[in-house]
Amino acid sequence: MTEKAAGRVSIAFKLAGSLLILLALLTLSSCSRHNGSTGKGGKSSAAMDSTLVISMLGDADYLNPVIGATVTSSNIFGLIYPSLLQSEFDTTTGLMNYMALEKKLRAVTAGQGKKAPKGAIAKSWRLSDDHTSLTYILRSDAFWDDGKPIVSADFKFSYQLYGNPVIASARQQYLAELVGADKGKVDFDKAIETPNDTTLIFRFFKPVPEQLALFHTSLTPLPAHRWKDVKPDEFRHSPLNLKPLGAGPYKLKTWQQQQEIFLVSSRKSNLPKPGNIPAISFKVVPDYTVRLTELQTGAVDVVENIKPEDFTALLKANRQLDIKTVGLRVYDYVGWSNIDQAEYRKSGAVKPHPLFGSARVRVALTTAIDRQAIIDGYLKQYGVICNNDISPSLKWAYNNRIAPHPYDPAKASALLKSEGWLPGTDGILQKNGKRFSFVLYTNAGNARRNYASVIIQQNLRAIGIDCKLDVQESNVFFENLQSRKLDAWMAGWSIGLEIDPLDAWGSDLKKSRFNFPGYRNPRIDELSELAKQKMDPLQARPYWLEYQEILHRDQPITFLYWIKETQGFNKRIEGAELNISGTFYNVDDWRLRPSANIAQ
Amino acid sequence: MLIYIFKRLLIAVPLIFGVLTLTFFIIRLAPGDPAAFFIQPGISPNVAEQIRAQYGLNDPLPVQYFKWLANVLQGDFGRSFSRSQQPVFDVIAEALPITLTIATLTLIANFTFGILIGIISAVRQNTFLDRFLTVTALFFYSMPEFWFALMMIILLALKFPFFPVSGLNEIGAESYGPLGFMLDRAWHLVLPVTVLSINGAAGIARYVRGSMLEVIRQDYIRTARAKGLSEKVVIFKHALRNALLPVITLMGSALPFIFSGALFIEVIFAFPGMGRVTVEAIFARDYPLIIANTFISGSLIVLGNLFADVLYAVADPRIKL
Repeated sequence: MTEKAAGRVSIAFKLAGSLLILLALLTLSSCSRHNGSTGKGGKSSAAMDSTLVISMLGDADYLNPVIGATVTSSNIFGLIYPSLLQSEFDTTTGLMNYMALEKKLRAVTAGQGKKAPKGAIAKSWRLSDDHTSLTYILRSDAFWDDGKPIVSADFKFSYQLYGNPVIASARQQYLAELVGADKGKVDFDKAIETPNDTTLIFRFFKPVPEQLALFHTSLTPLPAHRWKDVKPDEFRHSPLNLKPLGAGPYKLKTWQQQQEIFLVSSRKSNLPKPGNIPAISFKVVPDYTVRLTELQTGAVDVVENIKPEDFTALLKANRQLDIKTVGLRVYDYVGWSNIDQAEYRKSGAVKPHPLFGSARVRVALTTAIDRQAIIDGYLKQYGVICNNDISPSLKWAYNNRIAPHPYDPAKASALLKSEGWLPGTDGILQKNGKRFSFVLYTNAGNARRNYASVIIQQNLRAIGIDCKLDVQESNVFFENLQSRKLDAWMAGWSIGLEIDPLDAWGSDLKKSRFNFPGYRNPRIDELSELAKQKMDPLQARPYWLEYQEILHRDQPITFLYWIKETQGFNKRIEGAELNISGTFYNVDDWRLRPSANIAQ
Repeated sequence: MLIYIFKRLLIAVPLIFGVLTLTFFIIRLAPGDPAAFFIQPGISPNVAEQIRAQYGLNDPLPVQYFKWLANVLQGDFGRSFSRSQQPVFDVIAEALPITLTIATLTLIANFTFGILIGIISAVRQNTFLDRFLTVTALFFYSMPEFWFALMMIILLALKFPFFPVSGLNEIGAESYGPLGFMLDRAWHLVLPVTVLSINGAAGIARYVRGSMLEVIRQDYIRTARAKGLSEKVVIFKHALRNALLPVITLMGSALPFIFSGALFIEVIFAFPGMGRVTVEAIFARDYPLIIANTFISGSLIVLGNLFADVLYAVADPRIKL
């Protein structure tokens, strides 16, 4: 060992502190250059008063309406792009209302109509008497952010993108009624016509109810002049995806992927107007605890899906916070295999499941589960007992005469006894030598379902049913569910605002992809078809009432509870109207109170 | 030594290739589907099929493998499934500087504090100071990083708001000027680097203490003291260099960490680094990104080991390569 080398070691230690700082600055500067190239927010923190910060769990996938498939993406591109019609969920009826500048689908009921139709590109529309063609008249004063006019050809071009199998848009279902779709390929020459810049005609191969026709023809457009040279197989990775050209109240300023999407109010926009708040930052914060902390410290203004157990501490820690609720769109359930899944997988034969094949057993299981205890213990006032998959929020269709199956272990035992399930020597029910024992699967990372599954396990044990719990990684769980490998599971659905239950309950198990329990009742298929044929949804109400009664009687699954989604808001936000159609549906109308004016 | 390094690098090629092939088959045979997101009500059943066709997942597995192989041999690892179909190395290039910054700072702090604490503990063996440092080091060493991070956030960002909770910069930090921007960045890095380095330094301190105690008892240390050298010279010039030999191995194995990142810290502090890229890729079954990450971390482990062996030979003349 040389003295020189040993001396270096010693010096290194003496200078460790300063070296640390030096290296820190070096690496930091290289990093800051990297960030500088991805963009500049251009705002000073003193001006936080003019920036709304919304936290999000993960980044948007695409800020392109044709391929952006996540809720986060559509929340954001909804602010950037214009829309043909304005839509609003009417909370008094539970029906969607569609509005053009000079026409509304329905009269606006009292207390509704918060969203002005000024953002719509359509001035009016006319549905042909036979309900097979829909003609829109567009306004002529709508412009993309680059100054080019928004014309009917933009819509036709965009629908061709939505329908292109190479692009694989998640919204191609919207084209299902257009001419040619029944033969497997939309004939765009006939299905969408643009006689001039302000006339847009959609043609359907069958009569379509007006509400559905408006819903399916009002997909967000892309500017044709900007995208026309992009080949379909390059569409998903085109650099244009990073520079969206829209016409809505906000413009994209910077997108630092996996960190932040920064929008600024688009000063020239007349669709409907420049956003009130000058800037909106969508900030990625993956960890739930950290999102809560940031809401408390004021670093973010909105955090979605706050767990009810955190409300008290949150509101106590910061009185400037508010919990807003939206609902009811999401429910949890316990799925029971109605059919013998192993047999079905093997031979395609449909036989009743040895445990859950009988409706009476399934009713007994629902009766044995104390759903109110789960709500009281976890969701509190943010949960409502669920009877079937039509939400109480869809008032026009909801059957409020159905009384929930009450929690009644004695009745559950009696029902099971009548089905031949009697206690064995170990206390577990038995029938023909088969024990009533099964595994209840659920996906990992859902505190609410974990809580519920433990209560369900106890409830079932109390009437002599052995229920083991197993938590699986989400991908694995979903694949097992799809391939019908699970006998009992706990999951949830978020419902659409149009009722279309055939995917979930259709008797043709090959077609109804989400009928995981294998439930089959031909009357359900009939009712769904009958309801679809009605051109006015209100006329379909009797069918939906009967539909709900059947589901209540058959209990293909145990419907547990509807969940009010709970969003944390900083009180400096004013004018926020939360709606079942989305937390951010009127974000362009929100205002920020300057921090100096916030009362303590 | 050059021949040795060349040989090791040559052996590394089939090794890494084998790892990649194994990864290719394991992830495709594992349950889960990259197009699973598109299987939901309201989305046409055709979409998942079209997406799979785009990703080339409809071919039989051997065909997929040979296509992949042909591309990889041309240096094309493909495009990410889950991140806007960016080329995978673009995704990694965006995440890497962030991970590098955190990891480099952490490693410097780790080794500096770890070695210092280790020396003090060894020199003052069995004193109150040694016991205090040992217990403290073990306390932090056994603490889960994610929990420690959350506690630090609650204490130093929420109760006593000295530091920001998450992110790399304040909103609008670009307007602070280059120096202000860097200081703001440094301010955001204090908590995560502290969490990572306290834990790591505690571990290194244990190593250094052990090897230092062994060295201090050697005859040549007694000789050095007998020569009348000052204690400082004995410890830093004679003992430390020999005691640091095992630590060099640790340095080699730290190389993959610099590039692979620290997942929990990245999730908690919302840093878009390599740890998050890797884990999100796994959850999204983003095959090309998983393989590219495996390629990078596999190569680094091999290089790290080689680096440690070479350093060892450089530091210890008794070892010949």
